[in-house]
Amino acid sequence: MKRLARAAFLSKFSAALSGTVLTVACLLAQPSLLGEPEPAPQQMQKLTASAIQLERSDPPEDLLIPEETSVAMYENVILQLTKTKKFQHVYRSGDRTAASEPDLVILRLIPQAFKAGSQKQREVTTVTGATSIKVRIQFASRDGKVLREEIVEGKVRFYGENLRATYDLAKKVAAVVKETF
Amino acid sequence: MRTRSAQFNPGVSSKQREIVRRSLQLAAIAVVFVATAGSAFSQQVATPQASQTTSIPHVKCVIGLENVKANMKGTLSLLPNGLEFATGKNKVDISTASIQDIFTGQESRQDVSGPAGTVAKAGIPYGGGRIVSLFSHNVEVLTVEYVDPNGGFHGTVFVLSPGKATVLKNQLVAQGAKVSNHLQPPPQEQKP
Repeated sequence: MKRLARAAFLSKFSAALSGTVLTVACLLAQPSLLGEPEPAPQQMQKLTASAIQLERSDPPEDLLIPEETSVAMYENVILQLTKTKKFQHVYRSGDRTAASEPDLVILRLIPQAFKAGSQKQREVTTVTGATSIKVRIQFASRDGKVLREEIVEGKVRFYGENLRATYDLAKKVAAVVKETF
Repeated sequence: MRTRSAQFNPGVSSKQREIVRRSLQLAAIAVVFVATAGSAFSQQVATPQASQTTSIPHVKCVIGLENVKANMKGTLSLLPNGLEFATGKNKVDISTASIQDIFTGQESRQDVSGPAGTVAKAGIPYGGGRIVSLFSHNVEVLTVEYVDPNGGFHGTVFVLSPGKATVLKNQLVAQGAKVSNHLQPPPQEQKP
């Protein structure tokens, strides 16, 4: 009896093993299913600039964003842009000395959506109360030509104060800057 | 007469002594009065100075001041020509003339927060950390927008105890800081 049971187990195990091997082989034949990036049809051309200026944009009239959120977003993006070390100078909005820069790129943050969450609700329920802010980021040349545009969203889902959403957003803006320049 | 004069002379001397004593008492009272009045006048002079240099300790600077790390606590003082935020090592000034706008807002903050608080809450068994999260306190947020000498825009966010941000804002406006009329969105968090 024991021998029969052992033989049955071995046959089932070998069948399962061969099935797994076949599945893996099929997946390897199709790299996109495993999450490997497909070769891009056109590699995105990187931009070059020695300086960047962050401009503030007013949100649409129907979108009310607390001023502390707006200011924290601006200051966090300035800090993260400096940390990327992609530019010799990071100019603030309205800085007159930026006019002398030969190749200046202007980055605009245009708020698209804002959801004021609640830290208490987040920490008590875990699944509700997230704070999120969605912003369209626009890289433009000095003459106003839009070079690249993308929508970025910053969130705080579980732990942290509401303003932490602006830090998350700034990190994502910095990631876009790193892949663009 | 001799006797009278003899009796009179001691009487005169006692009167003189009494006069001297009374004059000394009056002088003492006058000294006390002058001292009291002096201190009162000095208080009257000092009072406006105290109102001009309001200092609020334990203010959190969330972001926006150069050479000050995010979420640093320090003393926010109202000087005759602007604001000053001082931590243990650094002092940063914002002059009244450079201020473009000032906003105040209400928020609530967790009583137990920060990385250590979060770990502590997560460590309480049977979801007790969620109960701790229910405890919060109200704070006031002061947002100051200003420009540097090159015209570059800066913004700073301070977190203060309730009521103090409005007082500071009013004092800055009295000093001549610019403030625009703005629509405030509803408070982000409401008391349960």
